[in-house]
Amino acid sequence: MSLRSLILLIINGLVFLVVVILSITFYNQFSHVIDDRILQQLNSIKTLKKIQIENLIQTEWHNFSENPTSTCFGDSLNISMSKKQFPVSGIYDLTKYHKQNKTSIGLVLVDSNQIKLNVIPYDKIKSILLERTGMGNTGESYLVGDDYNMRSQSRFFPKKTPFSILVKTEGVLNGLSSESGRGIYKDYRGIDVYGVYSTVNLSNLKLVILSEIDKSEVKAPLEALKSRLLGLIGIIMLVAIVLSLFLSRIIANPIINMKNSLKIMADGDYTQTNEFVKNSNEIKEMFLALDNLKKSLQGAVNFSNEIGEMNLNALYLPKSNSDLLGKSLIKMRNKLIEFRNNENKHRINTKRQLVDGLENERRRLSRELHDGIGPLLTSLKFYIENNIESKTQQQEMKTIVDNTISEIRLMSNALMPSTLDDFGIGAALTNFIESINKSSSIHIDFEDLTNKNNTKLTKNQEINIFRISQELINNALKHGNPKNIKITLSEFDDFISLFYFDDGNGFNLDTVKLGSGIINMKERVEICKGEIQITSKSGNTTFEIELPIEDHEDH
Amino acid sequence: MKTIKLIIADDHELFRNGLKELLKKYSDIDVVDCVADGKEFIDVLKNNSELDVVLLDITMPNMDGFEVLNEIKSLNKSVKPIIISMHDEGNYIAKCAKNGAYSYLLKNTDQDELIKIIRIVSGGKKYFSPKISEKMINYMSEQTVSEHILSKKEQEVLELLSKGLTTKEIALKLFVSSRTIETHRANIIKKLEVKNTAELIKKASKINLI
Repeated sequence: MSLRSLILLIINGLVFLVVVILSITFYNQFSHVIDDRILQQLNSIKTLKKIQIENLIQTEWHNFSENPTSTCFGDSLNISMSKKQFPVSGIYDLTKYHKQNKTSIGLVLVDSNQIKLNVIPYDKIKSILLERTGMGNTGESYLVGDDYNMRSQSRFFPKKTPFSILVKTEGVLNGLSSESGRGIYKDYRGIDVYGVYSTVNLSNLKLVILSEIDKSEVKAPLEALKSRLLGLIGIIMLVAIVLSLFLSRIIANPIINMKNSLKIMADGDYTQTNEFVKNSNEIKEMFLALDNLKKSLQGAVNFSNEIGEMNLNALYLPKSNSDLLGKSLIKMRNKLIEFRNNENKHRINTKRQLVDGLENERRRLSRELHDGIGPLLTSLKFYIENNIESKTQQQEMKTIVDNTISEIRLMSNALMPSTLDDFGIGAALTNFIESINKSSSIHIDFEDLTNKNNTKLTKNQEINIFRISQELINNALKHGNPKNIKITLSEFDDFISLFYFDDGNGFNLDTVKLGSGIINMKERVEICKGEIQITSKSGNTTFEIELPIEDHEDH
Repeated sequence: MKTIKLIIADDHELFRNGLKELLKKYSDIDVVDCVADGKEFIDVLKNNSELDVVLLDITMPNMDGFEVLNEIKSLNKSVKPIIISMHDEGNYIAKCAKNGAYSYLLKNTDQDELIKIIRIVSGGKKYFSPKISEKMINYMSEQTVSEHILSKKEQEVLELLSKGLTTKEIALKLFVSSRTIETHRANIIKKLEVKNTAELIKKASKINLI
């Protein structure tokens, strides 16, 4: 179920419940009050009528007993009954003896065998009962005899003789058995009425007086109220629905937007920049938090990108102590840096081993030539001197052997001068440069500022410096066409500086073919953990190479 | 005529034998012994004080020629060492001469020259052929050992500093890197026990360094 329908359901359900409970309570209360009022009113009317009727009868009886001048018994009154039927004086209900069953309250005075009879005029009774003030449209009061037949005119059947109407209703039954009461019951027409009743008990007369009003009339205002209440409920519900629709939009929209944003983010896209309506502080804060989350994720993404491109110097600050993502990224970066450093170390180590192997091989070969083949050739020379008779032949052979020895000496020196091992870099470079100066027109100035006797340079450093210098001079001879080369080798406590200058053609650092020359130099500098700086223009090319000197030797 | 008692120290057997054969032809030279390395030679030397000349190779196992020269000096023996080596560089020659060699021969030296030198040296004279001397002198001329407080380079740097040149200008002039000049300057300041360049110039002119 969606959030909006949930909100709608809850709000409208609550409103409906409240309105209905209020309406029902109100209706019931109202209905109860009306019932009470009506019955009270009916009761007072009935009581009034009862008193009036009783007064009327008592007054008639009094007049009659004072002055019992009666018309002659029976006929004029249309009552057919014998005198014997009245043993004592009193008031009787004579209706059933009337020929037309007209309601007749008879007054009988028995005086020494003479019975005097009079009837209270029905009109008087009728006028009392038909007085309908405060009885509405359907209200009536009437009398019923103990034979359950009506004694006064029915308002609804004015043409009918009251006696012919049987009224055996709850009101009458109760009225005959007890004094008085009230209730809602069906009247003689079979219609629900509010009724009050009580007994009129005078001498021999027993009647029930009832005041009734139709329930439908009483309930009419209630019905109006009911329909009005229903209308009101309808209107309130309508308003509630409209309001809740609006409210649910206000509440649900930001949440739905948030949901959509989070969905997009969950798909891995942190770059969305949708603007949303923020209609409350909490929502604003929520979106602010979302923005922050987005930013930190973006930061993490950028950082990962940098790491992905192996830009390991990228900076990243974890957003907080609990920024696990940031922390693991940093951990990853550090691991990568460590890995790269190890890789670098390993690479340089491999290179160093390669170069060392190469140099060792050269040294071995050089020694072999110099100290192995050389002496053999000198032995050959002794042999020639000892055993060849012909002086000219001996001389020729000795010349050939001497030339061979010189050649071998050159080869050996080219491979690796033994001076480098025996006298160090200064002497080796001096010798090398001297030989170049002799064999070419270039003037090379070499200044040796190394500590001859207690140098801290390692053999490997010396070999590398020698090779770099060789490379520099060879390159210059091959490509630069310089007149002067100046090389200074300065040893200090913590570093050695090789400075090279030539006044040749120079080269463009960006376009020069990094043939074996410069690359080899750079590699050798790297192996020695040193630095190299190259500047070059026509007439001025310099190489500055610096290698660190460590106190303890690590090779 | 007194025979020259001679010993050959070289690690190449073929060479030793060839040399020995060659020297046999000369009646005034008596090859007493042949040894393969410096250690062996020193052992022989300790037991035999009548040796006149040793033909000594530089590159040998166990103990090389340089060490043997030093050992002879410290043992105070009268044997006169002649270096016979494949190395023809001035630095080797100079070092040997400095360490007490009476002569220096290349292994492919002609027989006549060899005999001549053995005879000269056995007479107690040092002898270096013109070619060898030239190489030695060439080398030594470049090795000017400064006896001053400051090295030659430091002296140069100091002079340029006193003329008011910047580090970079000095570096350009002396064909070294700026850092080299900075280090030189720092070393000069340390050596003259001053605190900064201004004090340095003051003190340098006071003790007539510039």
